[in-house]
Amino acid sequence: MKSLFLVIAVLAIFAWYLSFLATRLDRLHHRVETSWANLDALLQKRAAIAIEIARSDIADPASQLLLTFAAHQARDASVKDRSQAESSLTGALGILLQTAEDIDSALEQELLHELIELNQKITVAIALHVETVNRTQLIRSKLFIRFFRLAGKAPLPVTYEFEADVI
Amino acid sequence: MPIGKKRIGIVCPYGWDTPGGVQAHVADLAQYLISQGHYVSVLAPTLSDENLPDYLVSAGKPISIPYNGAVARILFGPIAFARVRQWISNGDFDLLHLHEPAIPSISFLACVAAEGPMVGTFHASAKRQKVIFAIGPILEPVIEKLTARIAVSEAARATLTEHLETDAVVVPNGIYASRLASGQLRSEWSKNTIGFIGRFEEPRKGLQLLVEALPQIISSVPDVRVLVAGPGDSQEFLKDVAPHLAHKFEFLGRISEEEKADFLHSVSIYVAPNTGGESFGIILAEALAGGAAVVASDIPAFEALLGGGKYGALFTSEDSSSLASTIVDLLHDDSRRNHLRSEGKSHAQSFDWDLIAQRIYDVYEMAMVGLGKVSLSSDTRAWSKFLGR
Repeated sequence: MKSLFLVIAVLAIFAWYLSFLATRLDRLHHRVETSWANLDALLQKRAAIAIEIARSDIADPASQLLLTFAAHQARDASVKDRSQAESSLTGALGILLQTAEDIDSALEQELLHELIELNQKITVAIALHVETVNRTQLIRSKLFIRFFRLAGKAPLPVTYEFEADVI
Repeated sequence: MPIGKKRIGIVCPYGWDTPGGVQAHVADLAQYLISQGHYVSVLAPTLSDENLPDYLVSAGKPISIPYNGAVARILFGPIAFARVRQWISNGDFDLLHLHEPAIPSISFLACVAAEGPMVGTFHASAKRQKVIFAIGPILEPVIEKLTARIAVSEAARATLTEHLETDAVVVPNGIYASRLASGQLRSEWSKNTIGFIGRFEEPRKGLQLLVEALPQIISSVPDVRVLVAGPGDSQEFLKDVAPHLAHKFEFLGRISEEEKADFLHSVSIYVAPNTGGESFGIILAEALAGGAAVVASDIPAFEALLGGGKYGALFTSEDSSSLASTIVDLLHDDSRRNHLRSEGKSHAQSFDWDLIAQRIYDVYEMAMVGLGKVSLSSDTRAWSKFLGR
């Protein structure tokens, strides 16, 4: 009788532990989704600003071409091409920020200021996203989680290559 | 409540009545957020209930335990846990900001109890300790709940990566640069003076090192004086110091913010001989903002803050002869000193609260995306729903 109780107790503790792990993992999965949604929204906004800049007088015709191309590509890219498209937009905007220093028009200054602010936010958003993804990958590699399939059908989150350039 | 104004709960683990970098940081941040129209509640342990600001909620009396080379006044235990839970459930917060959540304190308890958008700020930096293998499994699942992590310096970030294998966004501590920059020259504090601000009795603040270096400094600058500001027992400190050195010291006790600005503006050299345990060095940033020529030990946090020697002179940590020669050289070289003063002052502007708080708020905004409000974690557990509570 005593050993039966012991077995039940051990099973209960084990079940609690599994539920604890599942809660952890669930929370992380949820956060990967929200942090990506946040980053995605910021990147879309960046592309929009890039197009606006391309239409303004800040950029010379060649930069205009480059920016418009990169921004549209970033907006329409499929999941597969997204990383490369964002990288090239980062590059194009980087060149622009380096060269465009003496701008007098208030409207354009506003635009550049907005871009710089947005870039800071994107850096933070990327750091958060990468951190969550790494964490999730680490937890999912745990023995119990793999053995009991606690991750269910959720796809393994991955980081994008362009994220590494920014940090 | 207008759109964009949030309810923010901040947890400070250290006793509110004792002066310290984390407490000052929390107080400044809370005031800034309130001035921006947000609702802020700060939970912290306090010794007495008198003279507390409106936004502060006491979690009980702190207990003193040694931690990271200093005595920390913190609080934990079942009663504190109950208070933390009550504070979270009454607060109806949009976001929790937990300071130093990796030490046994109410910050850690809040991290355990809450679910939802949480930001953690890590202040401490420490060498990797063996004990982390033992406490890691307890700490990790809790720290993991933080939506975003902030480290106050690269040193604190490195500590975090090493100890807990997680990364953080670096946002330095804030200072009121403009307030400090308006100091007046006071003749009683100027002319071959070495200034020091802080709890001088604590060994890691390194004032003892200056005592050891003093004979060497006196031999080439006989009229040098050491001005020490900060709380502590000066009699006790001078007990073991030789009389001809002891009369070079002047203890000013605790000084006000205006006096601090004057002090930093007046002294010939500001010295920070800390031996370690420092992660950012808020006082050093303040010294730069106040326009002092700074001499600091080359511990990682100070080296980073002073741009590797660009905004202040560095000496080899825990080496009194290196400290003495650095001070003597700088006392003799007026042009270098003035150069450091102006360079340091402009560098310090980047730590101004307006900029820093905006960066912290950016992190808040990202943590709040799509996660709803803060709630008690027991309410969201699957089996609580299942059992119908």
